[in-house]
Amino acid sequence: MARKMLIDGELEKTNDAESHYDFDLFVIGAGSGGVRASRFSAQNGAKVAICELPFHPISSEVIGGVGGTHEEPGLDWCVIRGCVPKKILVYGASFGPELEDARNYGWDVNAKIDFNWKKLLQKKTDEINRLNGIYKRLLSGAGVKLFEGEGRVIGPNEVEVIQLDGTKISYSAKHILIATGSRAQRLPIPGQELGITSDEALSLEELPKHAVILGGGYIAVEFASIWRGMGTKVDLFYRKDLPLRGFDDEMREVVAKNLEGRGIKLHPGANLKELSKTEGGVKVLSDHGEEIVADVVLFATGRAPNSKRLNMEAVGVELDKAGAIKVNQYSQTNVPSIWAIGDVTNRMNLTPVALMEGTCFAVRYPEILALTSMFVSVVMSDYNTVFGGKPMAPDYSNIACAVFCIPPLSVVGLSEQEAVEKAKGDVLIFTSTFNPMKNTISGRQEKTMMKLVVDAETDKVLGASMCGPDAAEIMQGIAIALKCGATKAQFDSTVGIHPSAAEEFVTMRSVTRRVSAGTAKPRTNL
Amino acid sequence: MAATRVMASAGNAVSTPQSLNLCFKNGRLLTQKKRLFFVNNNSSKKLMLSVVHSFPCAHRSCRFTTTVRAESTNGSEPSANYDFDLFTIGAGSGGVRASRFAANFGAKVAVCELPFATVSSDSAGGVGGTCVLRGCVPKKLLVYASKFSHEFEESGGFGWSYDAEPKHDWSTLIANKNAELQRLVGIYKNILKNSGAMLLEGRGKIVDPHTVDINGKLYSAKNILIAVGGRPFIPDIPGSEYAIDSDAALDLPSKPKKIAIVGGGYIAVEFAGIFNGLKSGVHVFIRQKKLLRGFDEEVRDFLGEQMSLRGINIHSEETPQAIVKSSDGLLSLKTNKGTVDGFTHVMFATGRKPNTKNLGLEAVGVNLSINGAIEVDEFSRTSVPSIWAVGDVTDRINLTPVALMEGGALAKTLFANEPTKPDHSAVPCAVFSQPPIGQVGLTEDQAVKEYGDIDVYTSNFRPLKATLSGLPDRVFMKLIVCAKTNKVIGLHMCGEESAEIVQGFAIAVKAGLTKADFDATIGIHPTAAEEFVTMRTPTRKIRSAPSEGKSDSDAKAAAGV
Repeated sequence: MARKMLIDGELEKTNDAESHYDFDLFVIGAGSGGVRASRFSAQNGAKVAICELPFHPISSEVIGGVGGTHEEPGLDWCVIRGCVPKKILVYGASFGPELEDARNYGWDVNAKIDFNWKKLLQKKTDEINRLNGIYKRLLSGAGVKLFEGEGRVIGPNEVEVIQLDGTKISYSAKHILIATGSRAQRLPIPGQELGITSDEALSLEELPKHAVILGGGYIAVEFASIWRGMGTKVDLFYRKDLPLRGFDDEMREVVAKNLEGRGIKLHPGANLKELSKTEGGVKVLSDHGEEIVADVVLFATGRAPNSKRLNMEAVGVELDKAGAIKVNQYSQTNVPSIWAIGDVTNRMNLTPVALMEGTCFAVRYPEILALTSMFVSVVMSDYNTVFGGKPMAPDYSNIACAVFCIPPLSVVGLSEQEAVEKAKGDVLIFTSTFNPMKNTISGRQEKTMMKLVVDAETDKVLGASMCGPDAAEIMQGIAIALKCGATKAQFDSTVGIHPSAAEEFVTMRSVTRRVSAGTAKPRTNL
Repeated sequence: MAATRVMASAGNAVSTPQSLNLCFKNGRLLTQKKRLFFVNNNSSKKLMLSVVHSFPCAHRSCRFTTTVRAESTNGSEPSANYDFDLFTIGAGSGGVRASRFAANFGAKVAVCELPFATVSSDSAGGVGGTCVLRGCVPKKLLVYASKFSHEFEESGGFGWSYDAEPKHDWSTLIANKNAELQRLVGIYKNILKNSGAMLLEGRGKIVDPHTVDINGKLYSAKNILIAVGGRPFIPDIPGSEYAIDSDAALDLPSKPKKIAIVGGGYIAVEFAGIFNGLKSGVHVFIRQKKLLRGFDEEVRDFLGEQMSLRGINIHSEETPQAIVKSSDGLLSLKTNKGTVDGFTHVMFATGRKPNTKNLGLEAVGVNLSINGAIEVDEFSRTSVPSIWAVGDVTDRINLTPVALMEGGALAKTLFANEPTKPDHSAVPCAVFSQPPIGQVGLTEDQAVKEYGDIDVYTSNFRPLKATLSGLPDRVFMKLIVCAKTNKVIGLHMCGEESAEIVQGFAIAVKAGLTKADFDATIGIHPTAAEEFVTMRTPTRKIRSAPSEGKSDSDAKAAAGV
């Protein structure tokens, strides 16, 4: 590999002589991945520019209208319309159930309690403004030039920024990095315009009294939990038998049970057919013939990569069927000078993954600059010696993630079904379902469930999952263990922290079941 | 707790640090000499345990070789000479675990325990022991109860408001707590019963190496296990009869209006948080400058600040000298610095002592340490070969899961033909203060002593929840990394959910994983825990010898990654 690199390196020397570009790197999209990549590249000595639309907490449709240029305004989806505001609302919603739990602990909370949505929204917006400012300062502190406007690619080394007043300025750059993220999709059904997406849901004027949510993904169950916790009546429709396709089937069952237990009406195996406006709000018609009048209908029916307005086809960058930018393992598109990271590549759409992809891109920036080659990957061996052995390609194995429904679900590694499919030998399943200590007095009827999936032959823990309070916080440390190939014996040799829920992960002594590879019929496609 | 885990570095040691620790304990280096080569000659099916020390055993080089051989001693075979294969005194965490496992391995087991009472004494205890009745469980339940007031405050920043400030009714809480404890005692009794162990009520006393007396009735046993735990200790000062201990504090008839808590250990800070959360006035008196001796210095500072911000008055370097009861029934605490008046309660959280009195231990020749703890070897064996001890009574690491580990290991050693040493390294622990602490591995001071060159990563941040609630809550996290091996040797956190968060990291630390392993792990966003895998730049690098001015450039390189 190293040898090949040398050859490429020589080839590139000619190109290197002509550094007449405005920037070494031009990043389109200042989300998690774009900001990370531009900051770190700048710190590595590159001359970097980044462009992003001006910040608005409310989504483009509302402010820009049809024909507006704002495809994805604001500095960071995660901060503005994703993880952060979502988590803030989850916190806000958690107090409702907490008040119920407080009673049996001796607290008199029977006096009138009020929840003021507008106040929470204002505080949320303040916080996001603050974070947006921090992001901007991080960028300028790193020496990254920030342009406000919509960026598009007009050549392998040329970017055009359409400013707010409509004027266009173009910049040349040795490398272009696309990090424009993704946006929520609606279902193409009659009356779809009466529904909203998660963008608007995070900034509704009024807290809905009755909400209908369509979708079984994480966004759907999170909003169901958020609104329910604030007292909204919630109907959740999804096409499969259980929500959260792709997660461990048993955990999906637990999530469904918990959502129901907290008062959310579930409509499995159902879809929406039509929305229409009525006096009371939006009338929803399901394919099962149900009719519900709700004041808000949320489409949580997936997100699509923001690649349309980038002019990708014109410069020859390949997209996949879903519109995601195709990249190799080093985030390089088929046009060598154009790279892409984050949700726009539709690999694993999580903020920390975009950060990882951004970091991986940036740490190799010195080589990218030196080579401008299709085969930069070959610098690896040299790179290792300089930077202490970190791999350059992002590693997608054992990435933990969390769904912030209430209570949350968090997983790392393989689900039982995946493990059985992939395993060569037997798989051992350890499960624990228990009443969390807090519930013994609060009286809440909700069990926590944990699961470890272990390779019978090697004793390696292949997967861990948990649904219950603090699952996301608990799973982070477990994720390190899995990432490093920890065995069940290593879990067992760790002493528990008592009394905690997490200690259950190190005290699962007896196997719940043993599944032979191939013999099991994995319950997929639920 | 953590303070007792001082690792010794011995030049030529063959043993683990723990065995050395045991060997050095209380400076009685050579006490184990007596135990060289002994054979339990009471049975033809015997367990031979030989401990070989190569002396001289000095601080610098200590050879400590241990061999354990079990000779066809599966305790499951009936031993005709004895009533029981194992007689356990004390049905707390360690005793129940050892008894159950022993019974599962086929041994004939009896357990004795004192009758139930919420406050322990020479004549009262209860199945479940400290953890279930007077420790972890009731404490945590009260912590849950008291945390709600903080949540009410937080909720204001999230749009919630209350017509009237929520009031707390102590008697509801205590009644519900006691109902839960009763339920747990029932569960514990059932677990024992289902395992086949026989439960006897009464005070067990050792008559000879194979005989236990309960209420005048004698039982013979091949092995005796002492798992009687510890009890709170109140120093003898004038007026100490007015003071309560943690047993009583968990079951008070009414809530303190204003309470003085004497002591700076984990029990003191936990109760300070409980009563503060339930809106009692709380004053903590500590002899030292800081709370929680033995914990990482930065964590100690951080917790002190956070507790003060929540309204707890901490009186440092103030030693109580007397408690005076005034005519209005209120208590005054007189200290070396002055007098604080108006307490409805004065609680002493001034340590716990092993329950080794009146057990007949001295008469049969079981060696005790100066503080009354039973001395045991790595297999939990006392100086009398047929007598064993686990849990707080041995004063090793006084935590429930450690007692469980010791009890489980002992059952394996005795009855599963599998000599097993409990492993006391990298035991994580939590303090349920508010905010709580979680930790595993070494403190910074310990790490410097043991490894010399270390890198310290810290993060002190305002969590997302606090930015909205407007409360001054913060989170502190710390990683201590061995500079030479890159291994994470200590991990500390103070902030919401620390106890839950640290458990998973404890697996990583126990497994000897490196900082690079932490860094290679992707964060779970947005959580507090992800901070532990995203600490890029060392806060400081500690080097025993001045290096060649390298640390600066190292730091820069790390920052760029």
